Amino acid sequence: MQDKRFFRELITDGARDFKAGRIGRRQFLTLCAIAGAAPYAVAMGDAKAAADEIVMWDWGGDAEKCHTEAFLSPFSKDSGLGFKIDTSGPLQGKIKQMVESGHVTADVADADAFDGIALGKLGDLEPIDYAIVDKNKVLKGFAWEYGISIIFYGYGFMYDTQKFKDNPPTTWADFWDTAKFPGKRSLYKWGNGAIEAALMADGVEKDKVYPCDIGRAVDKVKQIKADTLFWGSGAEGEQMVVNGEVSMGMVWVNRAKAVEADTNGRYKLNMNQAIAMPGAYIVPKGNPAGRENVMKFIASCQKPERQIDILKCHGMTPANPEAYGMIPPELQPFVITSKENLPKVLLNDPVWWAEHGGEAVDKYLAAIS
Amino acid sequence: MLTGRQTLGYWLMVLPLVVLVAAFYGWPLVNILRLSVTDPSPGLGNYAALFSDPALAKLIWTTLRICAITTVLSVMGGYLLAYVMTHASADRRNWMLMLVMMSFWISVLVRAFAWLMLLGRNGLLNSVLVRAGIVAEPLELVRNELGVLIGMVHYMIPYATLPLLANMQGIDPRLASASRSLGAGPLYGFVRIFLPLTVPGIVAASLLVFIVSLGFYVTPAILGGGKVLMIAEYVSVQVLITLQWGTASMLATLLLIGVFALLFVLSRFMKVSQAFGARA
Repeated sequence: MQDKRFFRELITDGARDFKAGRIGRRQFLTLCAIAGAAPYAVAMGDAKAAADEIVMWDWGGDAEKCHTEAFLSPFSKDSGLGFKIDTSGPLQGKIKQMVESGHVTADVADADAFDGIALGKLGDLEPIDYAIVDKNKVLKGFAWEYGISIIFYGYGFMYDTQKFKDNPPTTWADFWDTAKFPGKRSLYKWGNGAIEAALMADGVEKDKVYPCDIGRAVDKVKQIKADTLFWGSGAEGEQMVVNGEVSMGMVWVNRAKAVEADTNGRYKLNMNQAIAMPGAYIVPKGNPAGRENVMKFIASCQKPERQIDILKCHGMTPANPEAYGMIPPELQPFVITSKENLPKVLLNDPVWWAEHGGEAVDKYLAAIS
Repeated sequence: MLTGRQTLGYWLMVLPLVVLVAAFYGWPLVNILRLSVTDPSPGLGNYAALFSDPALAKLIWTTLRICAITTVLSVMGGYLLAYVMTHASADRRNWMLMLVMMSFWISVLVRAFAWLMLLGRNGLLNSVLVRAGIVAEPLELVRNELGVLIGMVHYMIPYATLPLLANMQGIDPRLASASRSLGAGPLYGFVRIFLPLTVPGIVAASLLVFIVSLGFYVTPAILGGGKVLMIAEYVSVQVLITLQWGTASMLATLLLIGVFALLFVLSRFMKVSQAFGARA
């Protein structure tokens, strides 16, 4: 695996140098011969196309349109580089597989911060170049060696206002209290957010949630398992609320405004104790567009006006504090790091998840299945 | 009989295909087998976990239980369908066959969502029942194990029907008349004559349904409400989310061995190619 990656990098660099006239044709062909020319005939084509465009790897759906409008199009206009979007979803395993197979086709992945930390440790990522990307244009503590937060998303819950008219639930403890607040619940199927929510429901103080007591969390989840549905994708979680399958449902906060609209305001978001998740832009090692180009792109996403554009289009909370003053008042309640919300939310600890995520997900799955 | 040269000629003709399958299917498969004994550390640790990790035992038990129930129900449904088709007029049989085949065209995803809309909490059936006052609370028909079973049985009935139909059509109809003329009633004739002759069909249909059910992913993921975890989905979690590729490839290997073993049993009862719809 490693040797393949090495040769691929060698030949991609070679192709770039050849194109730029830094090495001769003969030298380039020698390189190809060393690396085993045939498979890399393709790589030559790649390298040419690659140097001219940024390939963003995201989760599809609205993200495709929103990333284009807020980030990729404006960057393309400024830099002259083209762009493409791969909507297949950069799950940790897919990124690892891509890098280790030696065929890297994406430049930047819209991933979770814990993915950046875990994959960085495995050597599958390019480090962020903080000479180009600005460490100060992100909430303090959310810039790492192998990734930087551009946006936040988060896990909050929505509740049925018709059912709980006079006494709406406001905490995870209420969410867990199916005697006082009868009805079905929904939680995320792969553990993130749900583990933290369970601990807070069990009385753990916000600042004591990390390091998470996994055993305690899954025991708490088991208490409401019979009344709970578990969703695997954001769209599914949204659907459970919109279809009225649950009286309280965990959702991705950035989708809450759309859900309120879809249910004509019947379901309302509770932001108290929401779990703020730092997203991270991460760069697969040996990315086709080259490190400098992709770093410039990431830096461009930090611009406050583009951060506001992604908020308006996709509901994603800006990670750059400079943008906070520009948030339209009607969006404030849905912004996870806004002045009114920041004291109420729990900030996810990606380092803990990078280290213990596998164990947490396994135990959580064993408990809910 | 083919001469040696002729055989060689045929082999040469299929050689490109064999190479293709070996390179793009066989080799990655070998890699998966290898991963199961090398990741995260060399040895049989991943397989040992089967006996020490209750979560894995539960996962396998859930998968086997759901597949077994699906098999029994699908084969029963398929038997009825095949029986009616065998005894219908040729014209009618062709229509029925077409309807059965048509269900193969509908994607498993579409079917799962259709069940949600029909049987969900605010779905068609529950709205009618609640409004008519037949039930006070909506019935929980999906987003649980029952939902998974409904979805899977619905998907698998055609798979059970086809081998049974092939089997029943091979039974000489005069046997029924003969049993009648010897004084057997319809039930006695069915139990003593028809049913025993369809045993190979039942076995083939059961194995086929069971094997296909083992790999179900989408249906349990959507209709199970997250609480019905089967092997296929668990493998994908281990590959994509928790990065425990060793565990994933161990389970994949286990599944593969299981399927091969069942295919071997199947081959004792009928031509495997026939069970999968090919005309011998």
